[in-house]
Amino acid sequence: MLFALILIPLLAAVAILLGAPSKKTALAASLANIILAAIPLTSWKSSCWDTGFQVLENPNINLSLGLYDGMSVVMLLLSVLVTLAAVYSGKCPEGREKLWFSSTLLISAGAIGAFLATDVFFFYAFHELALIPTFLMIGMLGSGDRKAAAWKITIYLAFGSIILLAGLLLAVGHLDGFAFADLKAVPAEHQNAVALLLIIGFGTLVSLFPLHSWAAPAYASAPAPVSMLHAGVLKKFGLYGMLRVGMVVAPEGMAHWIPWLCVLLLGNIIWVGLVTLNQKRLDLMLGNSSVMHMGYIFLAIAALAANGENEIAQPAAVLLMFAHGISIAMLFSLSAMVERKTGTLEISQLGGLAKTAPALAFLFGLAGMASIGLPGLANFAGEVMVFFAGFADWSPQDGMGWIQITTIIALWGVVLSAVYMLRAYRNIFQGPLVKNTTNATDISCCDKIPTYLLAGTLLVVGIYPQILLQFL
Amino acid sequence: MQELILPTLNEYLFVSGLLFAIGLAGVIVRRNIIVIFMCLEMMLAAASLTLVAFSRFHLVGGLPDYDGQMLVFFIITVAAAEVAVGLAIIVSLYRARQTIHTDDLTSLKG
Amino acid sequence: METPWLLFLIPFASAAIIQLGLKRNAMASSLLSTLSVVVSFIIACSLLGSDQAGSWTWVEAGSFQLNIGYKLDQLATGMMIVVTGIGMLVHIFSLGYMKTDESKARYFGCLSMFMFSMTGIVLASNFVMMFIFWELVGLSSYLLIGHWYHKDSAADAAKKAFLTNRIGDFGFMIGILMLWGITGTVIFADMDGTSLGVVGTCIAGTAILLVFCGAIGKSAQLPLHVWLPDAMEGPTPVSALIHAATMVAAGVYMMARLYLSVGADMIPAWSGEVIAWIGGITSLAAALMATQQNDIKKILAYSTLSQLGYMVMAVGLVAPEVGMFHLFTHAWFKALLFLGSGAVIYACHHEQDIWKMGGLLKKMPVTAITFLVGTLALTAVPFTAGFYSKEEILYAAKGSPLFYLAAFVAFLTTFYMFRLFIVAFLGKPREHGAEEAKEVAPIMSLPLVLLALMAFVAPHITKILPVPLEWDLHFKAFPDLTSSVFWTSIGVFLAGGAVAFVLYSGKNQDPLSISLFRNKFYLDEIYQKIITICQDAVAAIIHFCDEFIIGTLFVGGATRSAQGVGNLFRRFAQNGSLSHYAYLMALGAVLVIYFTVFA
Repeated sequence: MLFALILIPLLAAVAILLGAPSKKTALAASLANIILAAIPLTSWKSSCWDTGFQVLENPNINLSLGLYDGMSVVMLLLSVLVTLAAVYSGKCPEGREKLWFSSTLLISAGAIGAFLATDVFFFYAFHELALIPTFLMIGMLGSGDRKAAAWKITIYLAFGSIILLAGLLLAVGHLDGFAFADLKAVPAEHQNAVALLLIIGFGTLVSLFPLHSWAAPAYASAPAPVSMLHAGVLKKFGLYGMLRVGMVVAPEGMAHWIPWLCVLLLGNIIWVGLVTLNQKRLDLMLGNSSVMHMGYIFLAIAALAANGENEIAQPAAVLLMFAHGISIAMLFSLSAMVERKTGTLEISQLGGLAKTAPALAFLFGLAGMASIGLPGLANFAGEVMVFFAGFADWSPQDGMGWIQITTIIALWGVVLSAVYMLRAYRNIFQGPLVKNTTNATDISCCDKIPTYLLAGTLLVVGIYPQILLQFL
Repeated sequence: MQELILPTLNEYLFVSGLLFAIGLAGVIVRRNIIVIFMCLEMMLAAASLTLVAFSRFHLVGGLPDYDGQMLVFFIITVAAAEVAVGLAIIVSLYRARQTIHTDDLTSLKG
Repeated sequence: METPWLLFLIPFASAAIIQLGLKRNAMASSLLSTLSVVVSFIIACSLLGSDQAGSWTWVEAGSFQLNIGYKLDQLATGMMIVVTGIGMLVHIFSLGYMKTDESKARYFGCLSMFMFSMTGIVLASNFVMMFIFWELVGLSSYLLIGHWYHKDSAADAAKKAFLTNRIGDFGFMIGILMLWGITGTVIFADMDGTSLGVVGTCIAGTAILLVFCGAIGKSAQLPLHVWLPDAMEGPTPVSALIHAATMVAAGVYMMARLYLSVGADMIPAWSGEVIAWIGGITSLAAALMATQQNDIKKILAYSTLSQLGYMVMAVGLVAPEVGMFHLFTHAWFKALLFLGSGAVIYACHHEQDIWKMGGLLKKMPVTAITFLVGTLALTAVPFTAGFYSKEEILYAAKGSPLFYLAAFVAFLTTFYMFRLFIVAFLGKPREHGAEEAKEVAPIMSLPLVLLALMAFVAPHITKILPVPLEWDLHFKAFPDLTSSVFWTSIGVFLAGGAVAFVLYSGKNQDPLSISLFRNKFYLDEIYQKIITICQDAVAAIIHFCDEFIIGTLFVGGATRSAQGVGNLFRRFAQNGSLSHYAYLMALGAVLVIYFTVFA
């Protein structure tokens, strides 16, 4: 059953390359995946979903899939939802439909595989698989300085993956096997090294400061489906890996690096937040903002590292991963629409778009508000839980520790994100009409479907977060 | 009758090394591709000579070890074929580029 | 389902239906919205005096829980009457005021959204829920201030309001987290004040002050007051409802709720003092700024600021019952004043400068008289609502330097309100807008009359006072003639009124010109500078560093050194010369032989 979730997009991609009608096949595949992903929701705890076979005897590597715990379920939901929206989004150049839709599906297949794998080897391999179509899409169908961006993201992520691989090998070398169930803490003398390698490796994949400079240019030049899938889903692989592998194999090592982790995540929130503030183009701004928000999830991870008993940290991180994935995907989808309607993403050349495109303005406002953490939308629930996780271990008599001080400084990021998002919204959608927006038309029904899907998810999860938290 | 003084193994190896060195020097120094090719053949001959010498001085049951000499015949045959192919390449190279001077053939330059 | 949930559900449903289905049908959406608030008002009345609670789990992780719940007590039910009552009148007024607006449906949808969020603040059973709705009123306020978003000024004002509130909420959230750390809960009913004593006054006071930061933002206290005057860019009924009567008072309500939960005597003295002084200075500064404004709505906005300062001062003086009392009376008469100014603006074809009005008393008598009632209540004429509450504040401040400050502010209040009334309503019309002014339609004057009534009777309906019984509010219907406080307030009223009459009676332009006050102490300009320097310039520098140090130096450096090494090899080893290759190959062979055979 779980194999089907990966095979459907994979086979659909092959079918498209062989000449099946591109968009229809892609849509059918992603819809089928949503339906399939919904099936295990009620019985995800049961082991009947585990499946797999041995690939190599020594070392013992299995292609095994399963819903290892609720985190996989949530990430699976995120992947299938964003995939459907991504298939609908963006405008494919004439004649390139095959590449466009098959790459989108391949990225999705890789992401789903990475989140479903219960074996370290395939967990890693599926993620790498998804990077190839990403590279092709940015390099061939991107905009702006697409070749440079494609090389940058690929080399950067390859660099991260190599360090990650070193960390994983070092860790697995001390353990019995590659299966998640076999993972346990490595001997104390190797914990720090493993933790450092994993932080740098996973951190690069999640654009942890100062290894973030690939993200914004890549998302800005990538076609909409790729930036949606990468920023929304694939990037979460690093965080998922930190929680799934890093915390298990090197808990004490992670705790050892907390001060560094805190400084770096504040780099994400404050430094990159200020960088975002100074962006002049909407796509670069969104790209940087997605880098910035990773800081909050790292904050939850740091809180978990400080105290493994912290009950709030892991659900908080996963909830925020989901919420951020949905909201950033929606923003990228909408920003592609803004560009299509007005021909530009330079913030200074836009204005008053709410007058000519009210539905677009409403949806963008909703997504923007979600991303700055407005209550009632999913991100707020995640963020507020992260902050509570940060203070969970505080005892007033002892003064503030690393995590508490970091939480307080990180809270300022909430102000920063409001500043850049509202500035952009005010300059793009409000104020008098300008040349580029006077003749803009509102979005069509077809454009609304994916964004309404994502907006509905944001609202439902925001109003009733238990719907996801029950898995965690 | 003057006694036939057989050269020792060392003398053979010395000649062969000399031959090889001359060939190598030719390959490195000369610019004409035909000459380089001839020098290459000379290096091949040096290698063959070594083989024969070793075979001659490695006695198996009082007789020289003929395996080495077998190999030399083999080399000679293959070398003949190789010369044919090599010269053919040189001819077609000349037809394509109107030169056999290596200074003019630098398309491998990075 | 218990009835109180309906209070959440009805306005939310109204907002959702308007947004999703009635966007094109302005008439239906305005009626739906008004109907929803009327029903809410009736439910709120029926819940008066009840004491119940209910909740459902919003977030649960292990033993950690956050709830959405309601808690009804006198504080909440009384406040609900203020919110739904004024909300209802404002909705009715809006039916007339926004009749011809092209985005009427959106306007009413946002109003319903506001009613929903405000209900959430009032009924909240815990701090996180209050924070949630705290932000949501911020959103409704943002949407309504920016109702005419195609005007640059409105769009900027909306953004400014939201961002300023965000700064306050930054502190609020830290405060909530600290209180959670100290008391172990965010639920009001479970909070134990003694734990505040255990951790020492330093930490407890910091936590209280950080929570108060939320109130600084929402109730527009110094130094975050700058958004409120700009918020007047929104439609006038919105100013009456949100930026005068209810939302801006939420800060005071929240502090009262905090005091009620932890016990007012548990508040460390130093933090109370800080709060009182912030309130006092705000009220003084705002009153001074109000004396030199010419825009009718701006004057009222500064007066709101000043009155909020009063309430906060009372809260800081550990007299939350007085703060809530003033909140209650002020809500009615300030809504009256704003709606009155709305009627004036409507009648004068959207003219807001009081120096272009004049003689309106004759043209629109109902509006003028109700406006006068509001003015008298605001200036604390005996037997009006404002008199009783202001008297209580002066009592609370007695014995502290704040008493003199409060008395001086009362003088200024009388002065600027009568300045406004004399210039706008007396004398002769100065421009043809005022000449053509006609009395507004009954649908707009009816709310004015009802509010004017409340400006007299509100304090006597003790049942709807949002003051819990355990806080003993001892106001008397008849003033104590022997008290010095009474005579002080009469004295400052007479003095303020006299100065205003002498200076402004029959004048066509302002005889006073104090640019410091007119320009709001240049605070906006100073903030602008601070933002430009501390935020934008720093952001530009950081951006440059990000591009230059990280992007160019580190990442680019790594790229270039890899390229450089590659180039070196290319130039050295790959020069295209056949003999060079042969040489290198031979060299390699020699080395290999050397290492395998001899080394």
